[in-house]
Amino acid sequence: MFYYSQRLEMKAQVADAFIAKFQLTPDEMNLLRGTKDEPITEDFFKALGRVKQIHDDVKILLRTNQQRAGLEIMEQMALLQETSYERLYRWTQNECRTLTQESCDISPVLAQAMEALQDRPVLYKYTLDEFGTARRSAVVRGFIDALTRGGLGGTPRPIEMHSHDPLRYVGDMLAWLHQATASEKEHLEAMLKLVTIQGVEENIQEVVGHITEGVCRPLKVRIEQVIVAEPGAVLLYKISNLLKFYHHTISGIVGNSAATLLTTIEEMHLLSKKIFFNSLSLHASKLMDKVELPPPDLGPSSALNQTLNLLREVLASHDSSVVPLDARQADFVQVLSCVLDPLLQMCTMSASNLGTADMATFMVNSLYMMKTTLALFEFTDKRLEMLQFQIEAHLDTLINEQASYVLTRAGLSYIYNSVQQHKPEQGPLSNLPSMDSVSLKVAMAQFDRYLSAPDSLLMSQLNFLLSATVKEQIIKQSTELVCRAYSELYAAVMDPSNEYKDPETILHRSPHQVQALLS
Amino acid sequence: MHSHPLPEPSATMATAPYNYSYIFKYIIIGDMGVGKSCLLHQFTEKKFMADCPHTIGVEFGTRIIEVSGQKIKLQIWDTAGQERFRAVTRSYYRGAAGALMVYDITRRSTYNHLSSWLTDARNLTNPNTVIILIGNKADLEAQRDVTYEEAKQFAEENGLLFLEASAKTGENVEDAFLEAAKKIYQNIQDGSLDLNAAESGVQHKPSAPQGGRLTSEPQPQREGCGC
Repeated sequence: MFYYSQRLEMKAQVADAFIAKFQLTPDEMNLLRGTKDEPITEDFFKALGRVKQIHDDVKILLRTNQQRAGLEIMEQMALLQETSYERLYRWTQNECRTLTQESCDISPVLAQAMEALQDRPVLYKYTLDEFGTARRSAVVRGFIDALTRGGLGGTPRPIEMHSHDPLRYVGDMLAWLHQATASEKEHLEAMLKLVTIQGVEENIQEVVGHITEGVCRPLKVRIEQVIVAEPGAVLLYKISNLLKFYHHTISGIVGNSAATLLTTIEEMHLLSKKIFFNSLSLHASKLMDKVELPPPDLGPSSALNQTLNLLREVLASHDSSVVPLDARQADFVQVLSCVLDPLLQMCTMSASNLGTADMATFMVNSLYMMKTTLALFEFTDKRLEMLQFQIEAHLDTLINEQASYVLTRAGLSYIYNSVQQHKPEQGPLSNLPSMDSVSLKVAMAQFDRYLSAPDSLLMSQLNFLLSATVKEQIIKQSTELVCRAYSELYAAVMDPSNEYKDPETILHRSPHQVQALLS
Repeated sequence: MHSHPLPEPSATMATAPYNYSYIFKYIIIGDMGVGKSCLLHQFTEKKFMADCPHTIGVEFGTRIIEVSGQKIKLQIWDTAGQERFRAVTRSYYRGAAGALMVYDITRRSTYNHLSSWLTDARNLTNPNTVIILIGNKADLEAQRDVTYEEAKQFAEENGLLFLEASAKTGENVEDAFLEAAKKIYQNIQDGSLDLNAAESGVQHKPSAPQGGRLTSEPQPQREGCGC
């Protein structure tokens, strides 16, 4: 009797241990099955863990003679697991559906639910979709509210209140979206922080991409309106840079996944850039339509000044741009050729009917203005070099003009030409008409007056030169030409074969002395 | 006062019904090189970032703190000080509950520019936005170029909170963020800050657990506390 009761007791103990090991308690069962409205709690996850554990442990039985019990328990646990996941999924789905407020705090249970659901990839994905859909409409609503309603008390004011200020309007919208995108990513990170499967980062990027998809249309419509209203080249350029900046900033959050928000921003960037260049080209073609005569002071025309102002503003906004350096450089070449080339053409055309000295002075002044405008900005070296070459070409013209002006006024022009063209077979130079020593002496008296006051013989155009350096350079180099002409004359007169009597009395200054006087 | 950096997301945190009751949005403004990003880094990571690169546009960080027993999530937007980013950074003032206006106590020019930063802050935020003036680099006493007293006076004249701090040593960095949070919280308590305003810079969470929420015991305090 005692023996039996002991055996029974032992059997009971074994049975209890078996049940404790391989079966759930009624409480646990209730937790897992639950009812529709019952909340999911931490105990649910413990029970779910137990089911998994039993399902694994029960495999031991399959290797013993308890195979049937083992198989039955396995099936039971598998069924229970499915029911539990089903219930968890429904609950999680409902949780996600409620997250439609602008602010969204992920409850720790939700994070645990996602941790559990990662074992069921399909449910996991559906849940993320559900979350994405809820957040998507929350973000759209938040965006529209920020645009049209602002804060309740009127502060901050609705973003659309600033739609008259295109840069601020576009900037405020994009900044709002940047902040919303960052917040949404944080929500997802909180929600998936316990998930350990591969590709969580990709999941996050994908869902953020989905969430921000809804705002693309309202954003696009508004930015397009701003761009199409043609707020002017400078603003268009600033807007295009701003869009590029936010494309970069937001892609730092959502990665380079094919997020529609990024595509939209990129589209708007390209559109604004296109309209910007259109606007520049239009301005340039207008220049060519109405070429004006140069002003009487041979300074830059008003069209030139206006265009350079525009260029300066564009370049300044370019310099202060928020876009990285290499991207800026690429734009630059295009901006410069879009504006400078027609500008040069316009100047050349408007100078075409002028006399040589007027033309050269006007061109030097115009080119000089372009050069000083560009010199303030980066990436202009090539253009500056080209402008410098053109300036130098016109400078040569002015130097020659000034030198012959001096020679003509000093009465040396005819004499110098005769010297240059004189050939030995014409006989001595002194026998040529107007080359006798008396004529030479008269001319030298005039030349002496020039030597005593070289500044009196300056072409009036030189006074119109905007750059004092350029003017000095012309005077210096043209004086050198005059000196060289005098040297040739001096050599010819001193040459005995030209038969001047007492040549020292005709030309009483040596070339060296002339040079000293003029320098 | 002692506090710890926000722990990495972990299961131990997942016990309270909500992670926090409020979100406060902050912005950090001030001249280039005054140490705005370093202050943020020190606050969120408890580390000094030497050779911090210039901020491009706007960056952000978050940390959960506690004020009067309420957990508050700070979402902090750190703006670039460079002039060329001014147009961009201005858009981030919108709806900030707090603004940290930073200058460098060793460079007077950064102090002299405060009035322009203050004008921006006043024009672009709510009347309720709490502005705290922070003289950073307080560890560089030998190179001091702005006295504590004059900055204090400037702050008082303009109704600003004021602290000197060092992102390098960490001195007063906690307080800088916490003082502003306390003031904002106080504004909420006495009703001068309307939480219903969509963009007051503060978002409130219902604190009572609803059905479906976990209701186990709260964990011991882990976040920095402002006492």
